[in-house]
Amino acid sequence: MSGASGWNSLSVQAILLIAFALGTAMIVNQLSPVGIPLVGQWDLQEGIVHANPDDVLFNSRLEIDDIEVAKLIYDGAKTLFVDARSGEDYESGHVKGAVSLSLGDFDVHVEGFINRYPPEQSIVTYCSGRTCEDSHHLAQLLLDLGYESVNIMIDGFQIWKEKGFPVD
Amino acid sequence: MTNSAKSLLQNPWLDLAARLILGATFIYASYHKIIAPADFAKLIYGYDLFPPETINLIAIIIPFVELIVGAALIIGIYPQSAALIINAMLIFFILIISINLIRGHEFDCGCFSVQSDQISDSPSFMLGRNILLLTLGIYILWHGMGHVRFFALTKQ
Repeated sequence: MSGASGWNSLSVQAILLIAFALGTAMIVNQLSPVGIPLVGQWDLQEGIVHANPDDVLFNSRLEIDDIEVAKLIYDGAKTLFVDARSGEDYESGHVKGAVSLSLGDFDVHVEGFINRYPPEQSIVTYCSGRTCEDSHHLAQLLLDLGYESVNIMIDGFQIWKEKGFPVD
Repeated sequence: MTNSAKSLLQNPWLDLAARLILGATFIYASYHKIIAPADFAKLIYGYDLFPPETINLIAIIIPFVELIVGAALIIGIYPQSAALIINAMLIFFILIISINLIRGHEFDCGCFSVQSDQISDSPSFMLGRNILLLTLGIYILWHGMGHVRFFALTKQ
């Protein structure tokens, strides 16, 4: 095998390996329960970014996509803001008066939350912003627990803070 | 290079060890991405270097290329070609990590799922690891090419 034909042979074999990987990837992705569509939602202006919009759009009707509207709800002082981020992130800054119910520690803290807040309590969940979907999943968990009024502030804590709204 | 160093580098067991290490690393790296492609896609989005239309495709395809070429290296099917692909991927990874390190771009979606998936390491760690792996990949390619040249010479 000479140098040039050696490289040619390597290239052909490499193309075969890649073609096999490509075919396998497409078939497995199609059949897998965690498979994603070929194109995701990656436009922040459109809403939260996600590879599989169907995963989060199930509760898009709960979204508050205007931070000013969220601030009006906050000013009404009847709604509880619930922080879905990690306890660490909550400690380093959160919406003033918000309580922490981290999605990662949900099972640990949910009982205390239920004991403290009745199902009639109006709730707004939030996380870091439009790059995270934790607030969507938390909202769904709270709805499943029987909470009647749950909304999601999709701009999250980052924009809330940038706007100069009250933080702790 | 001394003769003893040369004979050590041409030792087929060293080649096999390098193939096992590199192959196993790529198979392991593919696992978390295959079981959570949506989280991997979000990490790709976080690099802020790829057109939105390509992000999901990259997240679907890359883990399987890693898996197949990793397995090919270990089993010994087209090992030099597998090393060629791995080297190209590693150079690509090193480039995109370096670009983001230089421009100071770091992405943290603050998402529970991505933080707990173990597919996100620090950029400097990833850079060091990829350079180390590229050394192994170049060695495997070189070792195979050496054999080709050796047979060509003995035929003359």
